[in-house]
Amino acid sequence: MVRFLLTLLAMVCQMGFVHAAGPECLRTYTLALHDHGLLYSAATDSGIDKDVSDELLRRSGCKVTVSLMPRARIWQLIESGALDFSQSGIINAQRDKFASFAWYFSNKYYLLVRKDSGVKNLADFERNEQLKIGTIRSFRYSETANQLVDRLQASNRISQGGGLAPLYQALMVNSIQAMIIEPFDFPALEEGKIRDITSIVEFNDPPVPHGLIMSKKALSSAEQDHWRSLVNAMRADGTLRRIFEKYFKPDLAAAMVNF
Amino acid sequence: MRLLPWLVLAATLLVTWTIWDHERQINRDALRSQFDFALKETVSRVEQRAAAYEQMLRGVQGLVSTTDLKDRVAIHRYVEALQLDANFSGVKIIGIVERVPAQDRAAHINAMRKSGIGNYAIHPTSSESTSALIVQRESAATGSASPLGLDIWPEPVRRDALERARDSGMPAITGKIRLAIDQPSTAPPGFVMYLPVFAPGQPRDTVAQRREHLIGWVYAAFHMSDFMASLYGAQSSGLGMAIYDDVETSDAALMYRSPDRSDSDRPAHAAAWSATEYMVVGGHTWTLSMASQPELEARLGRDATNLIAAVGVALSLALAGLVWLMVHGRARAMRMAAAMTEELRHVAQHDPLTRLPNRALFSDRLHQELARARRDDGRFAVIFLDLDDFKPVNDNFGHAVGDLLLQQVAQRLQNAVRAVDTVGRIGGDEFVVLVAGLGDHDAVYTMTNKINQALQQVFVVDGHAVRVSASVGVAVYPEDGSDELTLTRCADTAMYRVKNANQAGINRASSAPS
Repeated sequence: MVRFLLTLLAMVCQMGFVHAAGPECLRTYTLALHDHGLLYSAATDSGIDKDVSDELLRRSGCKVTVSLMPRARIWQLIESGALDFSQSGIINAQRDKFASFAWYFSNKYYLLVRKDSGVKNLADFERNEQLKIGTIRSFRYSETANQLVDRLQASNRISQGGGLAPLYQALMVNSIQAMIIEPFDFPALEEGKIRDITSIVEFNDPPVPHGLIMSKKALSSAEQDHWRSLVNAMRADGTLRRIFEKYFKPDLAAAMVNF
Repeated sequence: MRLLPWLVLAATLLVTWTIWDHERQINRDALRSQFDFALKETVSRVEQRAAAYEQMLRGVQGLVSTTDLKDRVAIHRYVEALQLDANFSGVKIIGIVERVPAQDRAAHINAMRKSGIGNYAIHPTSSESTSALIVQRESAATGSASPLGLDIWPEPVRRDALERARDSGMPAITGKIRLAIDQPSTAPPGFVMYLPVFAPGQPRDTVAQRREHLIGWVYAAFHMSDFMASLYGAQSSGLGMAIYDDVETSDAALMYRSPDRSDSDRPAHAAAWSATEYMVVGGHTWTLSMASQPELEARLGRDATNLIAAVGVALSLALAGLVWLMVHGRARAMRMAAAMTEELRHVAQHDPLTRLPNRALFSDRLHQELARARRDDGRFAVIFLDLDDFKPVNDNFGHAVGDLLLQQVAQRLQNAVRAVDTVGRIGGDEFVVLVAGLGDHDAVYTMTNKINQALQQVFVVDGHAVRVSASVGVAVYPEDGSDELTLTRCADTAMYRVKNANQAGINRASSAPS
């Protein structure tokens, strides 16, 4: 409690205004996780998102029902207001209409491509019309990656999946030749023979911030500000960095949470 | 100008092609967007249906975890109360699996037999350290199921799902399997959904805890075709789909094919549009493969593009043809006009009967010769010629004969002169000759004698023999005059002197005072 208040005081001194200590718990909230690499594994019910949400809910003192959903359904329910929270989301013009965010890490995007496709850079991939890319339904990425995906969509070179795992499977059997990945997707590469048969091409975009997703329809601005302040507190006191260090080397963890 | 019809044809064909291509592009985009929507919708319907069954099974899980895995009556009543009607037609069996460690097998068999299942036995025998035994089945299906006590732990496909459900605490479905109630030869594709049941009151937050406190599973067994038949919403017509287990799209992995899908396993290259989506259902991958069928492609107006092409080409040809006619018509009209103008000019400058230059043209020629002679210090002569006794010919033989005579006189005169000379008719029987470029005085006399001789020959006109003679007056430039008026008057006067002398002859102007 004392530590919490000290943190709060520090925040107040930084921000220069007073606000209530944590969100009021007006009701039972809902939070959805999606199965995605290190962020969350349904098989083991563990991951970065799980750790972050556990800590966040503990600090809030609110009752929250956590469930597992495909990412496409999460965005749909955030928009309609049936779902209050989800995690590790990125913003774009369309999402800004119905969701607000509390950033807690950022990362770049990469193209994971089969070595036997002969692709050395993005232009190579786009030029060869036989090559297909796998994306997760409703996912958006960094600027260049989005543009590539949109162009390939127009020429029917995209196969979508409900999650990461089927895309890795499809990549292994050469149904698709590439997919877009982020640092927390990497460990799957250690398993199986994916790492042996693939190489990585960078998208030259700056890192994209990811954060807690809050439904504008379900939560008022005041509630959103309260929850955002909780996330910021976790950043400020190093909790987030510690969580990330469980899963990444210290320098990568630091790069992701310091932005 | 001649190229204009071809240019018009090229331009109109280009416009037709542009419109046709644009229409084709629109159709393509419409097909693609309809296709993308149907794909998204189908995925959504399948995921929703799976969630609905999952929710139903959670009810059973909830019951079992609050009472007892072995409370057969409660479970039976609960499943009956669920009223699994046509909405849940996919479910063939709802059942209970109990986890029994090897060391507890004997005790377990005793307990089951005591509870009323007299011939309960564990089969097949297994040397594994644990068993997963089917201890209860509730089924709407009539079919001989293998007896209770079936150990499904050794079966790898089911085992994988059992373990996933246990470790995650969430629903897990198997790959494609033959359900235990089906015969091997006729088994349709099926799958099973498992939910884990943990010992009441025990922690289950980590994998290790879950493994330790697992007491069994509840499951629902499905025939894939019935599962798909129970989807909400309508299947878009014109789109064929197939669902495969995992990511391999092979016959062995095929779980479902929609009725309007063609027989070939991979119609992708024949369809206008096709796509693949990897669904995740119960932690397992299903590959949905969708392809457009001919009737959808036709419905989206391939006919319209053909119509545009046909009409466009026809209109192009018609327009080009019209332009061709216009261009050639104009050319023809121009030619006609030119010919008529030429004809008119000829008529305006020539005597219609004899076709000789008339007074106006002769005057023109005289002016030109005058200018030339002045410039070159040359000499020329003007000869006026009047036919004697012409009138009697008309009176005796008629005007038709008279006209013919005049024509013959004209012809003889033209034959008598040189090419550079001009013979003209300036009156009824009056002719005039311009003798250009005279060398010396005598040359003019040579010419006039020649003319006279020509006229002295008998004319045979329309069967009549006619003789004529002419009165000739000559004026020479520059001696007899230096301008048109003087020359012509002199020649004319000289001619009349001869005429008045009442005999044919030649008179030179300058031989008498004017």
